[in-house]
Parts: sequence; C-alpha cells; structure tokens
Amino acid sequence: MRKTVLIVEDEFLIAIDLKLLLERCGWCVLGPAAAVEEALELLDDELPAVAILDVTLRDGSVTRLAEALRERHVPFVVASAYSRPELIGGEILAGAPNVGKPTEEHRLLAVLEQMVGA
Amino acid sequence: MNLEELYRLLRNAHVQAQGIIDTVPYPLLVLDQNLCVQSGSRAFFTTFNVDRDETVGKHIYELGNRQWDIPELRHLLEEVIPKSTAVVDFEVEHDFPSIGRRTMLLSAHRLFHPDNNSRTLLLSIVDATERRQREAEKDVLLGELRHRMKNMLALVQAIARQTAAAGRSGEEYRDAFLGRFNALVQAYDTAYTQEGEAELQELLELTLEPYSEHPTGVLVEPGPPVPLASKQIMSLSLILHELATNAIKYGALSIPDGQVRVRWTVEEASAPHLRLVWQETGGPPVAPPGSYGFGMQLIEFAVGRELGGRVELNYALAGLVVEIVAPLGSVS
Repeated sequence: MRKTVLIVEDEFLIAIDLKLLLERCGWCVLGPAAAVEEALELLDDELPAVAILDVTLRDGSVTRLAEALRERHVPFVVASAYSRPELIGGEILAGAPNVGKPTEEHRLLAVLEQMVGA
Repeated sequence: MNLEELYRLLRNAHVQAQGIIDTVPYPLLVLDQNLCVQSGSRAFFTTFNVDRDETVGKHIYELGNRQWDIPELRHLLEEVIPKSTAVVDFEVEHDFPSIGRRTMLLSAHRLFHPDNNSRTLLLSIVDATERRQREAEKDVLLGELRHRMKNMLALVQAIARQTAAAGRSGEEYRDAFLGRFNALVQAYDTAYTQEGEAELQELLELTLEPYSEHPTGVLVEPGPPVPLASKQIMSLSLILHELATNAIKYGALSIPDGQVRVRWTVEEASAPHLRLVWQETGGPPVAPPGSYGFGMQLIEFAVGRELGGRVELNYALAGLVVEIVAPLGSVS
C-alpha cells in the first residue's frame, strides 16, 4: 500500500516542515491544504491513507473535514497546540491522537505508522 | 431609671444594631432559629430589589416569590450549618427573577453570644457573578496566549528542522539557523508592532539593510507606494531573507562586484497587482540548483499561498532574476 498522507495546516512554515519531513521518511504527501474547502477538493481526487489536521484553518474549524474523512473511512491525527482540540473543533476530534504542536518527529512518525496499520 | 429613659436606651441600642447591619457593604440577613428574617442590610434590599417590610418576619424560603428556595441553600442551612459554626463562600448559581442568573457566595456565621447558646444566624450573600466572569475571560485569554506561544515555538521548530545540517559545521548550521530565526523575529516585529501596516519601500530597506555591506551591493529602486498588511509583510520579509542569503552564498553578493537591484511596479489590471523584481548582476555564472531545498519551498509557498500570487525564477547567465506577481489589497 502506498503511504499517502494528507497534510492540512494553514501556517505555511509548519506546512512545509511537515511536508519535507514526511517526504524524507518515504511518505507521499497530498496538500498541504490551508483550508477545509481546499482539502475537500483534494479528497475528490485521491483518498489518503491517513490525514494530519490542524484545528483552525483559513475558512474556519476543521470539523467539516474531519466528518468527511470519517465518512470515507480515512483515519486522522490532530496536530494542535490546544491540549483539548475537541473543545475548539468539536467532538469528532475527541478520539483522534494529538501529535502536538510543536510536533515531535518520532512521535508523529510512530502515530502515523500505527494509524495505517503498518 | 424611669420607663422613658429605659425605652430611649433600648431604642438607641436597637438603632445602633440596625446601623451596624446596614453599614455592611454586601447583602446580609439575620435569621432566627426557624430561619425567619429578623433583619437585613440595606445592601440586601437594594441588590435583590425587595422591600424591607415585606421581608422582615418572613421565612427565608418564602421571600420574593420563593426565589431563595434553592436546593443548595436548603442543604447549606439545614444540613451544613447545624453541624458547624460557620460556612464561608459556599457557591450557589441561581436564576433570580429580578436580576437574572447570578453566582452568589454564601457565608453563614452563628451570631456570637457570651454563653455560646445563640441560635441566630448571620447570612451574607456576595454577588461574585462579575468576578467569575472576569476569571473565565482571563482563562480564555491565557489559553489563547499559550496556544500562540506554542504556535510560535512550532515555527522555530520548523526552521530549526529544515535548515540543512548535512555537510556543514556546527557553526555554519547555527549561523544559517539564526539567520532565518532573526528574519522571523524581524518579520514579526514589522508585521505586528506598527499596527499591521508598512510600506513596501520601508520593508525592503529594513529587510535588506543587513546585506548591503558595501553601498552598491543591494539597490532598492524607488517605486510607487504599496501599503502592506501583516500577512504580506511576514511573507515578503522571509522571502527577501531567503533570496539575500542565497545571493550571498551562490549569487551576486558572493563577490564584491556583484549587485542586486530590487524594483517594483503596480499594475492596474482588473485588480491592482504588485510586480516585484529581484535582479542579480555581476556575480559568478549561475545554474539552477541541483536540489530543491527548504528555502525554495518557502519562497514558492509564501508567494503562492500567503500572497496569492506566482513566482518565476530565471537562472539567466548574467544572474538570477526573480519575479513575483501578487494581487494587492485584501489577501486571504
């Protein structure tokens, strides 16, 4: 299975960092998307194996995107500086692992591998 | 002592006792052993908008259409008080008909008596609604501040992680990292300390000043006024830093004769567009870079996503020419 990951992050420096970091580790990156609408369009083309979500995006909360991912059975992790992202982005985020922001490299990679069952 | 003197004495004592109660600046009730109101402070009557005559003599639960018949208060008066001499700051949240939803801190003290057999209660009621609201607002603000601090740390982490370390000495890595770090700090300063607006000319001079070691190194040609928003300032500062460090390492600024000219125009097409040109001359022969590093990604992302425009890099033999075209005005 191709290791594809959708990155959803509106802070461009952090988005590039995640992209380069994951590409170096063999992941194929979709995005980064800075807005819910942009990410939804990407999903129309290809479903990733897993997604990394920031909680607040250009066009508002990530909630709608998280719901779309769940419908399509795409697992997601949250990368947020909030200790309880579900208070901002809604209950749908409650069960998802938060890899944190700043994001520690080893933890991020371990969680992603676990999510895709590798 | 005749009867009249005795009456005056008692009356004075009563007036003084009531005066003491009325001087208490918060709502206070004096309750007898059956929880009937013996007296109340002026603050009580004004705060809860009730009449003194309608209050004194009544059972506390019957006051003001039973607005004090609150389960928490019943619990306090019937279960807690009998077993202790004082209860302090017992918090009750309740919808009061006349004043709305309030957070009250109730304190009850048994009235002091020399024989220690008093059954009279002093019940004070402090309205902590606004204090609680302020505390809640402060918590929200602090939470937001913590969130922003962590975001800032994530930015620093991004540049630390993406500044190349391979084939560099520790010192070289540190200098490269700190160069980006300082560009970030300066970008923030410019973007967020001057009420979020700066002129392009000012930004160019400020950002490129450290790279103009000899006066002809970087030349910013005067152009039309272009006011920039915070986000545009952030992106342009970082882009300029990347272009300048690249020029110092490989381009026109790597030799004394080289020069960078920066110029811009505003194009009034359907919407105003900024065309910014970075032109290097007199440097060593240039060739497109073999690898596509963080610096280039940063420039492309910053132009494409933050400025909503496009960037063209022309590795001309005479020197690198970078052209950035981006819409002006509100950029999402």
